[in-house]
Amino acid sequence: MRRLSWFNVTSLTLGFAFLYVPMLILIVYSFNESKLVTVWAGFSTKWYGELFRNEAFLDAAGVTLRVAFISATIATVLGTMAAYVMVRGGRFFGRTLFSGMIYAPLVMPEVITGLSLLLLFIAIGLDRGVLTIVLAHTTFAMCYVSVVVSSRLVTFDRSVEEAALDLGCTPFDAFRSVTLPIIAPAVISGWLLAFTLSLDDLVIASFTAGPSATTLPIKIFSSVRLGVSPEINALSTILIAIVATGVITASLVSKRAIARQRQDQRAAVAGA
Amino acid sequence: MTGGAPQVFAPWDDPKAKPLIEFRGVTKRFGDFTAVDAIDLNIYPREFFALLGPSGCGKTTLMRMLAGFETPTEGHILLDGKDLAAVPPNRRAVNMMFQSYALFPHLTVYDNIAFGLKRSDMPKSEIDGRVTEMLKLVQLGPFAKRKPHQISGGQRQRVALARALAKAPKLLLLDEPLAALDKKLRHDTQFELMDIQEKTGTTFVIVTHDQEEAMTVASRIAVMKDGRLLQVSTPPQIYENPNSAYVADFIGDVTIINGTAEPHPDGYAVHWAEGQAPLVVRSPLTLSSGQACHLAIRPEKVDVSKTRPEDDNVVKGEVIDIAYLGNLSTFHVRLPGGQMLKAQKFNTEHSARKEITWGDEIWLSWSDECAVLLDR
Ligand SMILES: Nc1ncnc2c1ncn2[C@@H]1O[C@H](COP(=O)(O)OP(=O)(O)OP(=O)(O)O)[C@@H](O)[C@H]1O
Ligand SMILES: [Mg+2]
Repeated sequence: MRRLSWFNVTSLTLGFAFLYVPMLILIVYSFNESKLVTVWAGFSTKWYGELFRNEAFLDAAGVTLRVAFISATIATVLGTMAAYVMVRGGRFFGRTLFSGMIYAPLVMPEVITGLSLLLLFIAIGLDRGVLTIVLAHTTFAMCYVSVVVSSRLVTFDRSVEEAALDLGCTPFDAFRSVTLPIIAPAVISGWLLAFTLSLDDLVIASFTAGPSATTLPIKIFSSVRLGVSPEINALSTILIAIVATGVITASLVSKRAIARQRQDQRAAVAGA
Repeated sequence: MTGGAPQVFAPWDDPKAKPLIEFRGVTKRFGDFTAVDAIDLNIYPREFFALLGPSGCGKTTLMRMLAGFETPTEGHILLDGKDLAAVPPNRRAVNMMFQSYALFPHLTVYDNIAFGLKRSDMPKSEIDGRVTEMLKLVQLGPFAKRKPHQISGGQRQRVALARALAKAPKLLLLDEPLAALDKKLRHDTQFELMDIQEKTGTTFVIVTHDQEEAMTVASRIAVMKDGRLLQVSTPPQIYENPNSAYVADFIGDVTIINGTAEPHPDGYAVHWAEGQAPLVVRSPLTLSSGQACHLAIRPEKVDVSKTRPEDDNVVKGEVIDIAYLGNLSTFHVRLPGGQMLKAQKFNTEHSARKEITWGDEIWLSWSDECAVLLDR
């Protein structure tokens, strides 16, 4: 191991402090006894209990999870299909325009996406609720999925698909039984990405949510405007814990998979 | 067999024979690069057809057009007399072994081989037997449960071979099927392929960089260059009667001497160096006097001796290099004027060859039938 220079140590410390001190404060205060957020009055978990008795929060959490799950799933299907056509479709008329248009929502300000969807829903007379949030989240998550999946597809050995066709698969069968299993990790990461994007989206959701359905970020945002309560801190701490667990598990799993593959390869070379 | 006498297998000489594959003026362009250039070719049922040529000459492209992964820019390909243009790859009675193997990484060796069978009309009960048979053929029984990344390169190649063979297609395309195998396994597999071909009557088109392999297995060899077919002939024909200096050089070891032709009884005298006697050669070609030509001389047809022999062509030179190959030695000899000539001798008598060493002046000789005159 190389020793770090004082410069590196300082920048590392500053960087991490910048990233994590706010969260740390939030976590610490979620265990505060006092109702006043900024005054420490001793350790307590009572706000967590409070949180789980709060119907409005639980409802919002339910809506959020439902929306995230459904929209991530639809976005994954559509995004994967779009990526497949863009990468595999060869040169068809308007291909550049299409691929540009798929990626445009990535850089489009969310306010504009949200507003235009709102206008659309009003124009077609769709009542705002879970359905409209799902549609909106599907639209913007789909392009993220398609970016993730197409980056996997471009490094994919085309001849494997050709071999499937050669052995009697129809193009759809080849996609289902060969392409999909091979790109599955990218599709799953696409789904996870879409899921988290939907989970923490505030802007688009606030345009498309109606009185009948509120998502957690909207709920948190609106209650913060009435003053930060320790309950919100508790809720946020739970969210941080969930996200951290998810990220760490995912990276451990993929690391293990890579290590196992290396080991197999070494065994094969040694055994050959 | 129609006649009484046993017939040799030579459908290409029989005007009534019906080809399995016909290329008619097939051209393939990628952008403005021509990968395959106006090819006309017939391949007959039960043939073992070898495609030989330098890297990038269009061999794989030709195969891919047969398998249906590329469409010809111009011309037609017929299988059994029917135009293939509208038939998608999965409906062609053609299987291909890919140069990159293209194994399914998520499936075991067993499932890779069974893949095509499961999609054919073979009854489920017979699939297992067939896969086991294929595994045995390529000696991969113990590896059936492994994934492709858990086996070695040569083993992967054998899986790819077994997978392509499993469906026993009418036409099997093999793109450098044996390149990654060691010599012994390669020989065994070559004979295995010929055996399979004999038993199943499958027609094989094989791409190879190994001309010895092409000589061993092929009924006919096509030599390609820059997307064109230079010569299509049986192995002995292509070795003994190449139609161009390129083919002569590509197939086997050869010395090419450039010169000008002058008619001579029974053939031509080739003037090749200032102040040297011309080399005489028999040839069916008609060349004008003074026309530029090439003389192709196989090293094994050249005799080596320390004293001047009597022959149609006799030249003297200095031994520059001797390549000892065990059963034979190749002498690299410099002739007057700097022209190099290769000569080969079997090492039959013990120690006799030791007489000739580097720097020796020796005599090389060959008869007028042993060289081939070429006009291009
Ligand atoms: N999809 C493609 N787009 C553009 N050029 C191509 C394409 N496929 C092949 N080529 C070109 O066509 C030529 C012939 O390629 P091909 O793969 O048929 O060569 P090959 O004879 O099989 O060579 P090798 O012995 O190295 O496998 C090459 O110059 C190659 O660069
Ligand atoms: Mg090739």
